[in-house]
Amino acid sequence: MEYFTISLFNGVVYGLLLFMVSAGLTLIFGMMGVLNFAHASFYMVGAYLAYSLQKIFGFWPAIVLAALLVGILGMVVEAFFLRRVHRYGHAHELLLTFGLAFIIAELVKLFYGNYPLNYRVPDALNFAAFQVFGTDYPVYRLLMGGISIGMFILIYLLLTRTRVGIVVRSAIYRPRMAEALGHNVPLVFMGVFGVGAALAGLAGAVAGAFYTTNPNMALELGVIVFVVVVVGGLGSLEGAMLASLLIGLISSFAVGIDLSLIDFFGLFGAREWAESVGGVLALKISSLSATIPFALMLLILLVRPSGLMGEKS
Amino acid sequence: MKVSRLVLYVAVAVAILVVLPAFLSHSLVNAVNQMLIAALFACAFNILCGQGGMLSFGHSAYFAIGSFATLHAMGVMSSESLLPTPLLPLAGALVGLMVGLVAGWFSTQRTGVYFSMITLALAELLHTIAPHLRGLFGGEAGISSMRMPALGITFGSDIHVYYLTLAWVVAAVGAMYFLTFTPLGRLIFALRENTHRLRFLGYNVHNLGTITFALSAMFSGIAGGLQAITIETSNYSAFEMHLSAEVLLNAYIGGVQVFFGPLIGAGVMTFFGNAVSDMTRNWLLYKGIIFVLVMMFMPTGIAGLLKLLGESFRKYSLPLLVPALLLSVVSTILLTMGTVFTVEMMQRGLSQDYQMLARAAGSAGPPPILLFGREWFPGSLITWLLSLGLLVGGGFFVWFSRSRWKMLKETDEDESVLLPKLGDGSGKAGLNKRENV
Repeated sequence: MEYFTISLFNGVVYGLLLFMVSAGLTLIFGMMGVLNFAHASFYMVGAYLAYSLQKIFGFWPAIVLAALLVGILGMVVEAFFLRRVHRYGHAHELLLTFGLAFIIAELVKLFYGNYPLNYRVPDALNFAAFQVFGTDYPVYRLLMGGISIGMFILIYLLLTRTRVGIVVRSAIYRPRMAEALGHNVPLVFMGVFGVGAALAGLAGAVAGAFYTTNPNMALELGVIVFVVVVVGGLGSLEGAMLASLLIGLISSFAVGIDLSLIDFFGLFGAREWAESVGGVLALKISSLSATIPFALMLLILLVRPSGLMGEKS
Repeated sequence: MKVSRLVLYVAVAVAILVVLPAFLSHSLVNAVNQMLIAALFACAFNILCGQGGMLSFGHSAYFAIGSFATLHAMGVMSSESLLPTPLLPLAGALVGLMVGLVAGWFSTQRTGVYFSMITLALAELLHTIAPHLRGLFGGEAGISSMRMPALGITFGSDIHVYYLTLAWVVAAVGAMYFLTFTPLGRLIFALRENTHRLRFLGYNVHNLGTITFALSAMFSGIAGGLQAITIETSNYSAFEMHLSAEVLLNAYIGGVQVFFGPLIGAGVMTFFGNAVSDMTRNWLLYKGIIFVLVMMFMPTGIAGLLKLLGESFRKYSLPLLVPALLLSVVSTILLTMGTVFTVEMMQRGLSQDYQMLARAAGSAGPPPILLFGREWFPGSLITWLLSLGLLVGGGFFVWFSRSRWKMLKETDEDESVLLPKLGDGSGKAGLNKRENV
């Protein structure tokens, strides 16, 4: 029970963090058809900027500033890079963001060195929220989850209840028609790109203090975020939320399960045979926790390519 | 005329590569060896990406699998070698082909961005699972083996390995070039250009995609096998994403729309990587910048640039062309100098060692940085004015040379289709989301 509760909490919080990063990615994809490889780099830049800024401005202002700066960076990327290569097609845009992700990672190494940063949760926030089965549960985790949920509600309301949201949704659904009706679609694109980047930057600034901040964090998270977006359905915000929670829970539960296929065969009395085969059968689920999301993604892509909540295939 | 000229070029290139070891030191022979392997890998990648129009983000997996298969065939832990050393890459080819068939069957179920995502997922799947499969991939330490003497050759020296690699690379690239003229090769092009029409003509598009994928994986496996023979070891880090990124960058910098483009790209980039990596830690940054510049301003890559040059020489008279060319060269040199100087200064100034020195110096001001045989003071204005000046000057020359090129083009407006149609290949590469709806 203890394992279950703690894994549940950790999984949900991790899932909510994944959602913060993947929300922007999925919106950008739904709108522009660009799968932005540099999106996780925005997450990383957010963490690094927040680290530098908090020395000057303190923790909370640094987080807000970092998110804003990353948002501006996102707009610059859209306006000066992506828009230029738009006419060459989506493959080209994908490759360009891939190159940008590469450059951002190298620049981060150039400025901050190729090692983890000492970016920590401030002492004022470093206390236990409550006790679960005798262990302290850090309040910062709850805070991360809270920020993510707040963001989800905010975006959801913005998209469904405001005039701006209507324009954005119409630009996502039928960009040409929206343009023909007199809306400035390139501006909307740039805005959504900037907001998406800012969200990723915010996630990085918040999560960087809790998890490690190092030059590989973009790559590590980036691949998982792709999984989330594909599983949830490219372009679907609700799908991204669902898939984030799913992946978060799977990763957090799998780490503690010490079973393998041998145990499965043991149920049918074939334990000796399975042990003699070894190899894949002897792999414990705990050691596969990093593999399962990819297997899930393959399964989804083959069975239901539009994702759990996606509409377009 | 055109074919005979190509044969001539290729013969000259191969002849140079054959006599090269006589003039080079051992470490340089090794570097050329690496260039050849990278070139073969990029070319194999291009079957899928440039010719088939399917963008793979996980191609290092098939390279790595070829490596591991070859190592197993070489004999791990004192077991006998299965094949004589010169034939070992066959193991990589065979296993690459088989894995490619399976992976290709899965990934070509979908097109466009979904295809790319599946290749990425497959590669990451292997990357995360490989360290746990000790028998196959040797855990975190990896597996290693030894080249055995065969056919009266010891394969002990780098020169022997070099000639083995050269022979395999020439044979494999020749086979891939030949493939483009076969009916299958033509169908692969058709796969990139118009899948719908291909389907209407009665071809099984999925099978065709699978075969393309498998062939690409097979040649990647050969490249991996050659790598295994050269370094005699491998571990699970061979599955890492950055190797997939490298081959992609190489291929695109070279130019994916021309058969020999990726060869050129991989050769040039690996050569520079080897030459520069001793001098700077920022090679990857430069490579990324080159890639983004190519993507933004020169989507046909080095091959496209060479073609453009060739055409310009034929079309314009020299007195008109030379100033424009010179301006372009000057602007490139200035911008390169500016970028390199700025990046290197920053890297040295921001490094931990230097920061410590600077702090120790205290009020005496930060100590000078040794760069390009001179001492620069990071505190002085001149240092940064120089880097700014180089960049601004380069930018000015870019503007100047562009106006020159524009003038050139206006001189014969009727032949204005000088630039190859840039967007064509990539636009039809199938990643167009709305096209697939």
